[in-house]
Amino acid sequence: MAIEDDVLVIGGGLAGVAAALTANEDAQVRLISHKQSTLRHASGLVDVLGYTPEREGPLVDPFDALADLPEGHPYERVGIDAVRSGLALFDDIVGDAYAGGHTDRNALVPTHGGTVKPTARYPRAAAAGLASDERDALLVGFESMTDFDAPLAAEHLTAAGVPFEARGVTIPFPGDFRADAKVTRYAHALDRNEELDGNDGGPGTPARRALAEAVKPHLDDQERVGFPAVLGDDDPSGIRSSIERALGVDVFEVPMGPPSLPGLRLEDRLYAALEDAGVRVATGNPAVDVATEDGRVRAVYVDRTGRRVPYHADQFVLASGGLVGKGIDSDRETVREPVFDCHVPHPTDRYDWFEDDAFGDHPFARFGVDVDHDLRPLAADGTPEYENLRAAGSVLGGYDFAAEKSGSGVSLATGYAAGRAAGEAAARGDSTSATATTHGDTK
Amino acid sequence: MTYDTEALVVGGGSTGTGIARDLAMRGVDVTLVEKGNLTHGTTGRMHGLLHSGGRYAVADQASAKECIEENRVLRDIASHCVEETGGLFVQRPEDSDEYFREKLEGCRECGIPAEELTAEEAREMEPYLASDIERAIRVPDGAVDPFRLCVANAVSAENHGARVETHAEVVDLLGDEDRVEGVTVRHESVSQSDTDRDSSREERADGDPDKREHQEPGRTEDIRADYVVNATGAWAGQIGEMAGVDIEVRPSKGVMVVMNCRQVDTVVNRCQPKGDADIVVPHETTAILGTTDEEVDDPEDYPEERWEVDLMIDELKQLVPILDDSRTVRSFWGVRPLYEPPDVGSDDPTDITRDYFLLDHEERDDLEGMTSIVGGKFTTYRMMAEEISDHVCEQLDVSAECRTADVPLPGSEDASVLDEGMDRFGLRSPIARRSAQRLGSRADDVLSSVDPNPVVCDCEAVTRAEIQDAIDGAGSDLNAVRIRTRASMGNCQGGFCCQGMAHELHPEYGEPTVRRALDELYQERWKGERHALWGEQLSQAMLNYALHAATMNRDEDPAETGGIDYTAFDDGVDAPGETGDERGVVPDGGNHANSTGGRTADEGDYGD
Amino acid sequence: MSDAENPDDEFEPVQVFGDEDGADLRPGSDDCYKCSTCDTNCPVAEVDDDFPGPKFQGPEQWRLKRKEDHDIDDSVMKCSNCMRCDGACPSNVPLSQMHNTARGEYVDEQMETLSREYVRNRILSNYRFFASLGSKVPRLSNFVMGLGITSWLGEKVMGISSEREMPEFATQTFREWWEERGGKAASKKRAREARAEREGTKVNSPDKRIAYFHGCYSNYNTPEVGKAMVRVFEHFGYEVVVPPQRCSGTPMFANGMVDDARRAAETNVEEFVAAIGDGADVIASCTSCSMSLRQEYPELFDIEGIDDLSAHTYEAVEYLRIYEDLDTALAGADADFPDTAYHAPCHARNQGLEGQAIEVADRIDGVEATDVGDSCSGISGTYGWKSENYDTSMKIGSEMFDHMDETEAETGMTECPTCAMQMEHGTGYDIRHPLELLEAALVEG
Repeated sequence: MAIEDDVLVIGGGLAGVAAALTANEDAQVRLISHKQSTLRHASGLVDVLGYTPEREGPLVDPFDALADLPEGHPYERVGIDAVRSGLALFDDIVGDAYAGGHTDRNALVPTHGGTVKPTARYPRAAAAGLASDERDALLVGFESMTDFDAPLAAEHLTAAGVPFEARGVTIPFPGDFRADAKVTRYAHALDRNEELDGNDGGPGTPARRALAEAVKPHLDDQERVGFPAVLGDDDPSGIRSSIERALGVDVFEVPMGPPSLPGLRLEDRLYAALEDAGVRVATGNPAVDVATEDGRVRAVYVDRTGRRVPYHADQFVLASGGLVGKGIDSDRETVREPVFDCHVPHPTDRYDWFEDDAFGDHPFARFGVDVDHDLRPLAADGTPEYENLRAAGSVLGGYDFAAEKSGSGVSLATGYAAGRAAGEAAARGDSTSATATTHGDTK
Repeated sequence: MTYDTEALVVGGGSTGTGIARDLAMRGVDVTLVEKGNLTHGTTGRMHGLLHSGGRYAVADQASAKECIEENRVLRDIASHCVEETGGLFVQRPEDSDEYFREKLEGCRECGIPAEELTAEEAREMEPYLASDIERAIRVPDGAVDPFRLCVANAVSAENHGARVETHAEVVDLLGDEDRVEGVTVRHESVSQSDTDRDSSREERADGDPDKREHQEPGRTEDIRADYVVNATGAWAGQIGEMAGVDIEVRPSKGVMVVMNCRQVDTVVNRCQPKGDADIVVPHETTAILGTTDEEVDDPEDYPEERWEVDLMIDELKQLVPILDDSRTVRSFWGVRPLYEPPDVGSDDPTDITRDYFLLDHEERDDLEGMTSIVGGKFTTYRMMAEEISDHVCEQLDVSAECRTADVPLPGSEDASVLDEGMDRFGLRSPIARRSAQRLGSRADDVLSSVDPNPVVCDCEAVTRAEIQDAIDGAGSDLNAVRIRTRASMGNCQGGFCCQGMAHELHPEYGEPTVRRALDELYQERWKGERHALWGEQLSQAMLNYALHAATMNRDEDPAETGGIDYTAFDDGVDAPGETGDERGVVPDGGNHANSTGGRTADEGDYGD
Repeated sequence: MSDAENPDDEFEPVQVFGDEDGADLRPGSDDCYKCSTCDTNCPVAEVDDDFPGPKFQGPEQWRLKRKEDHDIDDSVMKCSNCMRCDGACPSNVPLSQMHNTARGEYVDEQMETLSREYVRNRILSNYRFFASLGSKVPRLSNFVMGLGITSWLGEKVMGISSEREMPEFATQTFREWWEERGGKAASKKRAREARAEREGTKVNSPDKRIAYFHGCYSNYNTPEVGKAMVRVFEHFGYEVVVPPQRCSGTPMFANGMVDDARRAAETNVEEFVAAIGDGADVIASCTSCSMSLRQEYPELFDIEGIDDLSAHTYEAVEYLRIYEDLDTALAGADADFPDTAYHAPCHARNQGLEGQAIEVADRIDGVEATDVGDSCSGISGTYGWKSENYDTSMKIGSEMFDHMDETEAETGMTECPTCAMQMEHGTGYDIRHPLELLEAALVEG
């Protein structure tokens, strides 16, 4: 058999990586991922639980609320210990790049919309920006970046009652960048400390100094300065450090929407961890079908430009994402999980999939597979779809990560739990090893 | 507070703004009031078809002839609102040959240029047409942007001295049972004018009384007028009720389904006598599928139903099969202001004439001082406006001639902006082209006004300069900015750009106003997007929801909910710092000690 | 069938293109939800803000188009066609197809056909034509190409960067070697011998036959890759045929020379579909070539048999991993092969093949191959050859150079010949192909 592993993880986001790394402690693991993960859409903050499903909050201590979650919520399925283990795994992967692990309490991080939001782990780059920190802050926005209006965000934070004085200023980003330069362009210029032409920094000024010089005249007695999250991809701490020294104050980033550099940096960390751990990774092609036998999954077929290639394994973890990552798909009539065709509970009439208020309690936000306590997806009759298939992350149903602010926490907890169970099952050799498949079925 | 005017027009749709422009150009002192935005009622909820008259060429030749005449006028005076797409009447195998022949002959009888095409020729024009079509008739249908046309009429009216008030709802009529002498309006804003070009932004920002505050609960105002025109379309009966006269408008709803992109560049009609779901109109970046025809009781409260959306796709995929797999981004419903004289009594709204009626209440109801205009269709708005303006001028003893058929609308004075070698204003070429198509002859003024000029709405290629220009005209109402620019009308339905649009309001408008304007736009976008929630648009909706709720926490904005005890949360003080930190200084864990970490600007280490 | 080259394979220096309309890809924008993940994956946009990124170039620009509009933004020529955006999009927008088609339209409609840029691009994209001339007198060509005056002329007259070393022509092309060796008859014999030796191995096609798409570079410049390919496959019992063939089209797509590419594709489809009819699968040793036959051909052209070719095309190592038990074959193998710093070409990444070379190397004793990460080499075929792109190309590549430098190895390895050029140019390392490693482990070892 050409491609065979103990555990095959389908999906390369936070849940898939957590599952792969955890399973890898007990078994040989391969992770397959079709496209880049939705981490690049996300803020890079790692939420556990900011609000209850009844929208009470912001919660100071998410762990207090975990025990009361309704039956079927992913946290209820895996239990508090798995949440803690998932976070421990995360802390281990990211090391110094994240903070927040010193306390169970949530932190309130300013958003680019000018609100604050509760989260459990935040990038080191966002640490000096916390809203409970009472030091006055200067927010800096850039003229060409329409997503972040620093003076408006500062006024909004004031309206939100933050315990410090916030002021905002909009400046041109130094250098001669086009108005539609990508965030990666700014990040790259700062990473490499490119010499920038013209503007405030004068000719040929290194990017970090030029940026600091541009901010300096606007700094009064604030003790910290916040920028939209464009301060580097490869060397964010070096960049912050340079600017901090130049300005004599702390520097932080305000997490932004897509495309998100903090998400990108996190993704880099996760894939470095996979490589270090020896997990095999294959990207670029979708999982499209499965071979099954006696209630077990034998292989997942991956489509390589029209050609189906089987990936065999003993245990499988489905971490293919939700509606955005296309782990859950829909048409006018139905909602489905496209790889294993697992049952996805949903109202028959699509006009019952949403609420009329834009921020209403949308059923679609909870679409996903139901699972048992071992995270095995359940068929319509309530029995597991397959003995050796588990699901993790936003392919799971029964929770609204956007309203609860629980996305990354659920991915870590369920990824950890699914990976642990899959790895242990594979190590036990729960099944007879998959038998030969003919080559004919791949042609 | 009282204000005097010669003519008062109620209703800021195509008819109302058309009348205001016409009267103002004849030197009449005219005031227009509209309860919402311009186009708020029916005009903003149509499919964007500029009729050639072909659709009426068999059943209603009088309307057909009016259409082709006005079609030609609008290509001329409103070139920046019209896209000359051409149209096809397509015959499927099951459609009657006889009707096809009648259509072709009818067009010729009405002076509508019509040419028969073979199936191959039609498919060469429109490759996505079904492979089994029989043949087609080509006619000069077009696409028109009703928002842009309506705003241009209002601006032209103002340029000729008119006062245009949006967000000003008529709550009562002045006068008595014999004579209407004006109206009482309730302002939702304190603006003098929706499209006020006289007061500069600086003045308004300085607290000029004319500064328009978004959705401020307003005051009422009496506007006395020598003559009142009720141009409220489907709402005409409500004004009539205030005057104690009976106006039997029979509102009829129709659904329009908006596709994400253009599957066709030509208007595609089904060549059938009549029926639901028989037209696809390429409109700006989208294609609009239409429609249904169902009588409703209340023009503001009627069901918007799933079957209507499904019907559009399931029927029209017979003409354009790719529609079955294509993404829709939203649906909307419009209400036709159909009217028929009380003695006709049609059962089916599709049988009611599309002709318009001028109801002189003096003649009809012994009520002086007011005329209502009902029925009619968008394509002939100017002709209707001309006729009623003639009537008003007669009442006011004004002898000036109508000039609206000859004088181009603002933005259409010079069509050469789209010529080859057009100025790109430093923009990427498709963005420059789109901007110029929207702005017409104003493109140069608008696009060179702001530097840097980033794109705010990627889907529709709308730059900061154009948004700012719209804010100059529309104030803090982002839905009014939207209809002027198309920003937030593309496939993300505002998910990615409505925030950026709101930012452009600041600092001219304060944070609470910006927040309200953003919420209102976001809700308005959601209202239509709900009807497209499957497949890609459901995924888009989830991404938008995640961005606004998860990333920005706008659903639990503490500025709205209040009451956070900030001290209870992690302030980062106890967080351990980075280890092995290459900076060699105190780590940046948000630790207050950082500020005593010996860092000063003078040390000036900027990295490598 | 003769293995001689196709006689009508000629370069037509300047030709006015037909009026064929490009495909309407606006419906492809239906899949875009503006998340910009493609932009974050774009190696050009991160170093050059004149390039607005794949989201604008692809779904946005297409969606904004009306039928009559002919104004593709000129920045499409800054796209290096690395196709990393395809692998980024979480929602299946056909980004590279949009870029290729837009570029074709731009070149057709907007580029002056006598401009220096146009002529230069046609020369670069028709490398095979010039290579076939050059290889007729390889020593002379190598000497001329090495002259400073030639580089200077290239830069000044043609806009080809003088920083680049022209690739050296081999003294014997792969095809010359192949003929000398006895062509397909000899291969059949060797394969049969190998099969007899390796009883019991599962057989994919009863014939175990493959048709080799060597592409231009293995033929003219690095025949050792082609030779390794032949020997490795014969080792597994495959009979190799080498049909007549033209350029895969990759450099032509990248330069918007879609009509040149179509002409070449017509030959390739005809010849290789015939081979498929004889029971062969199609194998390429260059990942851009396999990408082109597999993905770009059916996206851009409508030629009879093109889907059949797409469905039967594989990259060499990929094929062995699917149909042969490579793990067992390599168990206990060792190889006289240097440690290498491996770079996965973007086009390998795109086909989901970025991990396989390292996995294979890990099985072989005594060989250390280190993955230098997921950055782009920056050359992207002809892109980095153009003077105006040279700096950008080197900026993009700098991350890869750094990572190569950080490994212990002093030899590079990759599947893509132009990545190999860039790796060599940036580090001075000798660059090898994974097939050469397999040859060392299985055939020589």
